[in-house]
Amino acid sequence: MTNKYIKCTALAISVASLSGATLAQDDAVTIYGVKSMSGAFASYGKYADMGSKLAVDQYGELLGEKPNYKVIDTEGNAGKALRKVQEAISQKDAKFFDGGTLSSTSLAIGKEVNKSGGVFITPAGADELTGVDCNASTFRWSVPTYGAIRETVIPLFKEHPEKKRWYTITPQYVFGEALLSNAETVFEELGIEHVGNSYHSLQEQEFSGYLTNAMASQPDVLLILNFGAQSSNTLRQAINFGLKNQMTILVTWSSGLEQFQELSASVTEDVYFGAQYWHTVDTPLNNQLVKDVKDVYGITPNYPLAADYISTKILLDAIAQAGTTDPTAVANALEGKSYEGPTGTETVRAADHQVLKNYYLLKGKAASKMNDSDDYADIVSYGKSFPDESSLECSGI
Amino acid sequence: MNSKTSIFRGITLIALVLIVLMPFILPSVTLATEILIFALAALACNLLLGYTGLLSFGQGIFFGGGAYSASLVMIHFNFGLISALLISILVGAALAFIVGSLSIRRTGIYFVMLTLAFTQMAYFLAYTFSDWTGGDNGLLDVPRPALNILGITVSDLKSSESFYAFVAIVFFVVFVFARRVIHSPFGTTLVAIRENENRSSAVGFSTNHFKLVAFVISGSITGLAGALYAMLLNFAPLSNIDLVMSENILIMTIIGGTSSLLGSLLGAGAIVLLGDVLSSIWPRWMMILGVALIAVVLFLPGGLWGGVTSLFNKLISNKKNKEESSTEVSK
Repeated sequence: MTNKYIKCTALAISVASLSGATLAQDDAVTIYGVKSMSGAFASYGKYADMGSKLAVDQYGELLGEKPNYKVIDTEGNAGKALRKVQEAISQKDAKFFDGGTLSSTSLAIGKEVNKSGGVFITPAGADELTGVDCNASTFRWSVPTYGAIRETVIPLFKEHPEKKRWYTITPQYVFGEALLSNAETVFEELGIEHVGNSYHSLQEQEFSGYLTNAMASQPDVLLILNFGAQSSNTLRQAINFGLKNQMTILVTWSSGLEQFQELSASVTEDVYFGAQYWHTVDTPLNNQLVKDVKDVYGITPNYPLAADYISTKILLDAIAQAGTTDPTAVANALEGKSYEGPTGTETVRAADHQVLKNYYLLKGKAASKMNDSDDYADIVSYGKSFPDESSLECSGI
Repeated sequence: MNSKTSIFRGITLIALVLIVLMPFILPSVTLATEILIFALAALACNLLLGYTGLLSFGQGIFFGGGAYSASLVMIHFNFGLISALLISILVGAALAFIVGSLSIRRTGIYFVMLTLAFTQMAYFLAYTFSDWTGGDNGLLDVPRPALNILGITVSDLKSSESFYAFVAIVFFVVFVFARRVIHSPFGTTLVAIRENENRSSAVGFSTNHFKLVAFVISGSITGLAGALYAMLLNFAPLSNIDLVMSENILIMTIIGGTSSLLGSLLGAGAIVLLGDVLSSIWPRWMMILGVALIAVVLFLPGGLWGGVTSLFNKLISNKKNKEESSTEVSK
């Protein structure tokens, strides 16, 4: 009986090992998309997933086989996301990751992927990704707070040099502090008077008190430094208070088309917004992307879709360029790479793995002037502003 | 002492079998580890809710406190595994003492509101002191030190399997300890307080002291769970200390079954697995969780474990009835 049991167990183990070996022989490249498919950020994750999926589906053969795409749902929780990434690395030998909307998720995943020697590209906002917490595996597509402030405050001031009194509303955490500190530097450079600032917490949804303080300071410009639902709520309440008639409003870090759709033209009209991406940007890749997204999904691409599309595409291109799935070779291929992206020519800076790309200043249109249902804004200006290589805080590459 | 109340028999044996089987039947070892860690937190919550009748929304404070304290002493003072875990236990106990000593002065809804207020306060403290906690970015680079006993390295705990084995041993030890607590005179007094606090007080028990000790035990175990979670992820996110964490631990406890330590393991397993499986199928999977919670409260007041035991008891009684009727027929 014992012998029979041992034989059965040995047979089972052999079959299991063989099936494992068969799986290991599957050499097709797999991109793991880390997206918030459920939870509080599911609406963002849905578009990010569409972008990555489109990039993989459009790609032809890569190293002799069609690449695969698998989504990892973060459930909007950094801990869950990290555990699932750990599983993918240990069980499926995952090497290539993209996505990660939340800064906390992306920072933690960047560290984990670096530990296992993979490659991770993210559009997350935390400056630490290419700053103090940079590493050899992590690349970032979105413009840091430095560029977001310089490409919005400076052109707006150039357009309205008479508007010298600015008031800020800032979320009191790392990201908000970074935007505020960059804004204060620019104010000093331009001789702008910073007439006041209101801090609010991460969970704040009611901004009337801060807006009353802003009104009392009689600024020429209200600079809103929070983002997502908080910036939408701040803006809505500011419009209700009639601030749009008293001062110019600039939302420096918008989430793009999705936010305009949520707010509607009656709110966004004449308001200035900073954006990482806008669908009317006239570049060859963006024109093609807009056409493809309309053909495949029937919608206009928004920021999460475009960001995750291009992140996935350049990762696939880098694998093709390296001619191998060795992550070190792929990371080397990405470093210094210049390519045609949705915002024009984009370059991956080798020193901190930051993609150097345009950031946009938009101005909301009146509903009567919109050419189509998504034509919410005009591009006022755009440009590339990044900290000089000599001032980078990144030392992990 | 019968098999039901014996510390090393009955449900302890079932728990041991489940712990051994989990890495083989679940999709991954890290998932099994996460379940055990949350089962520890749910077990600690059960000591309060199930055995003392205290509905605490403060469990996230102890979980986050344990995670941060263990992480900080490992990062800044190079503490080893055991000493970092001991620190997390002490911090969890200290936080529970502070929260408990103020909250148990009130009962019912006021007690619940106080624990809720403490959780909000702890969250904002962690959020404000971002130099220490990493704020909303979380605390990164949390190490997972090797297991050293008397200077000898037993395991480096680098592989997910070895870390699971370590967490499993910790869980089993805590499980046996909790069994010992609930079957001790102290534990039966807690149950008496749950059933009728006025009567317990009238017969001479200092009920507030008993409740405070229960709080401290619960806090120390939850702190330990938080530290193990930070070591599993090499990361301590801010979400560890927020209200949602307290809610999740409470839901695990209720779904698993209050008044049953094994129910905590079932509850944690059900919630973590549901999240994993359903989130990939339907983005709004939390609605199913809500339905499950309503169903358990309405139809399975004893939770999953209560359902399992009542099903088992029905099967046994049906079998007995059949045997009795066949004996009567043969007579």
